[in-house]
Amino acid sequence: MSSFFTARSIAPVFKQTLKQFIFNCESIKFQNQGKIVQCVFTNYTQTRNYANEKKVFERTKPHCNVGTIGHVDHGKTTLTAAITKVLSDKKLADAKKYADIDNAPEEKARGITINVAHIEYQTENRHYGHTDCPGHADYIKNMITGAAQMDGAILVVAATDGVMPQTREHLLLAKQIGVKHIVVFINKVDAADKEMVELVEMEIRELMTEMGFDGDHVPIITGSALCALDGKEPEIGSNAILKLMAEVDTYIPTPERELDKPFLLPVEHVYSIPGRGTVVTGRLERGVLKKGAECEFIGHNKVMKSTVTGVEMFHQILEEAQAGDQLGALVRGVKRDDIKRGMIMCKPGSVKANDHVEAQVYILSKEEGGRSKPFTSFVQMQMFSRTWDCAVQVLIPGKEMVMPGEDSKLVLKMIRPMVLEKGQRFTLRDGVITLGTGVVTGVLPALTEQDRSALTEGKKAREKKVVEAKK
Amino acid sequence: MMIGKYFVRKLHTSFSLFNVEKSMLATLRKKTGYTFSNCKKALELHNNDLTKAEEWLKQQAQSLGWSKATKLQGRQATQGLVGVLIKNNTAALVEVNCETDFVARNEHFQNMVHNVANTCIQHAPKPQGDRIVKVCFDTEQLKDLKTNDGKSLSDHLALMIGTVGENAVLKRAMCFKVDDNVHLSSYAHPAGNNGTETLMGRFGGVIALKQNIDKEVNLDELGKKLCQHVVGLDPKKVGCSSDIPEKNVEDETCLIYQEYLHDENFSVKEILEENGVEVVDFKRFGCGETGTMEQPLENVETCQ
Repeated sequence: MSSFFTARSIAPVFKQTLKQFIFNCESIKFQNQGKIVQCVFTNYTQTRNYANEKKVFERTKPHCNVGTIGHVDHGKTTLTAAITKVLSDKKLADAKKYADIDNAPEEKARGITINVAHIEYQTENRHYGHTDCPGHADYIKNMITGAAQMDGAILVVAATDGVMPQTREHLLLAKQIGVKHIVVFINKVDAADKEMVELVEMEIRELMTEMGFDGDHVPIITGSALCALDGKEPEIGSNAILKLMAEVDTYIPTPERELDKPFLLPVEHVYSIPGRGTVVTGRLERGVLKKGAECEFIGHNKVMKSTVTGVEMFHQILEEAQAGDQLGALVRGVKRDDIKRGMIMCKPGSVKANDHVEAQVYILSKEEGGRSKPFTSFVQMQMFSRTWDCAVQVLIPGKEMVMPGEDSKLVLKMIRPMVLEKGQRFTLRDGVITLGTGVVTGVLPALTEQDRSALTEGKKAREKKVVEAKK
Repeated sequence: MMIGKYFVRKLHTSFSLFNVEKSMLATLRKKTGYTFSNCKKALELHNNDLTKAEEWLKQQAQSLGWSKATKLQGRQATQGLVGVLIKNNTAALVEVNCETDFVARNEHFQNMVHNVANTCIQHAPKPQGDRIVKVCFDTEQLKDLKTNDGKSLSDHLALMIGTVGENAVLKRAMCFKVDDNVHLSSYAHPAGNNGTETLMGRFGGVIALKQNIDKEVNLDELGKKLCQHVVGLDPKKVGCSSDIPEKNVEDETCLIYQEYLHDENFSVKEILEENGVEVVDFKRFGCGETGTMEQPLENVETCQ
């Protein structure tokens, strides 16, 4: 069975590589080899049939998440509808009507209400998830919950209006949610003339450079989403959409897949099996784990090196486990009591424990099950991420308090270092209440012993210190 | 068709002239910031005379803004900002709405909020003796208020709508006017830098304090903290000793019985007593909240 799969899935890859050889003889680089390997993995087809009414998702192309940003009247929704229409003509998408996309429905992700429209379509090269939100706060919530992390964005600007005052805020948002690659679509060129379009293009490049993007090299496509939707004037209609998608295909890089990263397994349980040794279990979060792999245990203030001597799944020996597998790993030379739930087993040197991070957090409103009162700096909370939890002190930079139902930047100081990286998601709890969900946006310098002891100090001691510092 | 038009024009005008024209459109747009279509229209109407076109644009701005504003009128505006401004013995709390929170972050909008707050302060009625005067403005009343330059607030709003291309509404405003014995404090959350003296955020509050005993207290500091408390815990009234505290302190709506935001070991009442301060009145606005405006029109409420 498995050999049948490989044979079938590799065949198109060979076709593709052959094509590449024929057309690109001179420009074959090392990179291509990487791509070929990736193709082998991505061609892995999943054929599970849950129910007949649902289509089976075929994972044959790399996936990428994009979103549209821009002024409300510049045609974001029309463009999204036009993309699905043009691609549906090639049988790559289901055509969506304007009304289907407009008025982004309320969605609940991790218990948080977000106004967001998710649409999917594909080009010949990639599969896309497309996000469109009405407001800044919705994009931030979308980033925090990780509903669909945007890898790139399409900025829509109408040629008739040019850059709006709030376009600056749109670009700031892109920066804040970590979008580095933006493709620009100048819309409504049917209502403008050539010189206007040129000037709008100049203006956009200028603004983007000012905002810290590579304004000179940002791909800018001109067209009319409305024409594409109505099937008129293919030059500025459907062809422009295809051109836009070609740019999106090439300019926005495919995100690295979990499978290609160094392996990482958050430890859920540790068992001691007489005669065999210590076994750790958990879900492999990323990478591929093979028997014989060198590994490292990090967390709870400890770092230990070891070797994986066996990988098992459902009591069966596994040659290699892939990201997503629930497994048990036999490790050499460590005692059961040395390892604790919450530690991370990973490729040596691939991750580090941190105890001081900066994060973007959404605080649940009372309706969403959060608390009813705001909180101020120095509040103590319990932080949960992967399989560990840890007491943290919360500082609010630049604000006096955070109200339920709003997002905020927070600085978190942990009582002991745990594996926590940029982009990792977590929840904050206080007793039985989930206060909020967040994502780490940056790692700050490790706490000193002094800082750590200050974490447990009361309010009085803090105030005393402030007074002394003033003297 | 578009290309056709382009060629026809190219035939009529020499190439160099076309270039001049192009830079003129760019100059005009850069100078005025009006949309490309309007700049182009202005140039066409005035035979590419830059000064005349600019003048025309400025004249038209008001009516263009108005037409845009009328066009967008039906669209929902639930985002926006609450602004608080205190000048001497007068405080103004205003709410201006827009469609997306992107616009609320833009300086054009923030300047508008400041303008509204400032105008309200100027139009607050004179205090009558030893009293606090509280006055509310609703959307219609706000529209007619005249700003420093003689235009009405609705004119300014139309201009802003013309620039940002989104519907905006002057939702409501409230002014406090007090005598010298009463101290006014304000707070807006989340407080950001907006380049004006008006504090702005999604929530805003004003609190009026009166010190009854002679004790050295930093009223600015205390007032700000109490105001934060008001913004954070949304009490419904100040409350007095005849009010009975709720059994569950979480549900408490009387300010004095609530747990103090900055130190949960104390109630607000204890903090007030410690400093010998009395809360005369307070008001809190939350952006987009659909609360009823207590006593709408020109009724002037007076408190002891």
